[in-house]
Amino acid sequence: MNLMADILLNVIIAFLVGSVLFGLQRKIMARIQMRPGPPIIQHLLHTFKFFIKESAFPKTAAMPFYIAITAMLCAIWVAAVIVGPVTEGSLLLFFAIYALHKIVEHNAGSSSGSPYGKMSCVRAVFSAAAELPLFAVLIIIYLKTGTMNIGNIVTYQGHYGPLIWGIPLAAMMFFVLILSKAPYSPFAITKGKDIISGYETEHFGLLRGYLMISESIAWYMLLWVFLTVFIGGLSPIGYLIGMVLISALVALINATTPILNPNHSIMVQVSLAFIGVLGSIILLTVY
Amino acid sequence: MDNQIIYLIYILSFVIGSIIGLVLSYKKYTEPFIKKNIDMVALILAIIGWILVLNNPLFMVIPYYITITIGVFLIALVIGMRPGYGRYETVIGFSVAGIIWIIRMGLT
Repeated sequence: MNLMADILLNVIIAFLVGSVLFGLQRKIMARIQMRPGPPIIQHLLHTFKFFIKESAFPKTAAMPFYIAITAMLCAIWVAAVIVGPVTEGSLLLFFAIYALHKIVEHNAGSSSGSPYGKMSCVRAVFSAAAELPLFAVLIIIYLKTGTMNIGNIVTYQGHYGPLIWGIPLAAMMFFVLILSKAPYSPFAITKGKDIISGYETEHFGLLRGYLMISESIAWYMLLWVFLTVFIGGLSPIGYLIGMVLISALVALINATTPILNPNHSIMVQVSLAFIGVLGSIILLTVY
Repeated sequence: MDNQIIYLIYILSFVIGSIIGLVLSYKKYTEPFIKKNIDMVALILAIIGWILVLNNPLFMVIPYYITITIGVFLIALVIGMRPGYGRYETVIGFSVAGIIWIIRMGLT
């Protein structure tokens, strides 16, 4: 297939599946909390809704950065789709994109001039410290497989079985990262309800629509990378089942835990990462 | 047809079905899900939908992607109904299609 068509196809699939999974997550959370909950299509409808709403720009916004940042967020996650399902490139590139996401999150918060956005921007920097162990995940994967190419990692798993059995603690660390990106999660301090919608507070209309598209693609991509790197080359149905199961598990955790105080959130993530890194090194040495 | 295009069609079918189901059910039911009745139309749609998706080899004359697309659309129509509605119908539809699938697997 033509490369551009392949990219477009994968981006649309990522957006639609990511949106429906977010909707499913809200539905499961609602059922756990004994509420009927919104229809699972709700997140997608919200995204579309923002494209027909009026776009307003706050006086305090740092133009044109305030607008450009939404396009940047979209661009980096489209790039993630290209690195992931389209070309099955290097895992290192995917993590570089993830690091960029943190910077964009930070700048989206600071560009609006809103105190809530600024608070979220500070928290984005703060939480980045807890995501350094992510690079430890990369190193552990490299030490185990000898490659960072997603295609080669899948081939490796074809020969030796899923990596989740070989390096379970690295998978646990990656799962914590996925959890931290979910809305209402205990680690979602950049979008905690105490700061309204965090870095998105002052982005309305079209700009919010772009942010929501990016988030849906980001969710799909994080799940895709987890399933590909730790479980191996699955069929599309396998991916779908895996994504639904992880989303349901995340929803269960989110529904039963409060959003942590930023200090506690970082400490929990760092502690889990410390256990993960140390445990993985011991496991790699023993086996 | 390329596999990815087929999956995109399934996803679009699900999304469009859910939206239509939501709109129609809000027109049909003006109150929240309190009476807990089973809607016969939704039940028939759910059963047909799940049978088409799980047992598409039974319909050999039609290409499988068309059968599944229609099935996914019908499933989404019922699942996508306003909160509460369509829940029992989906479970019954899935169970009936599941039993047929088990029988089919047993015979082959």
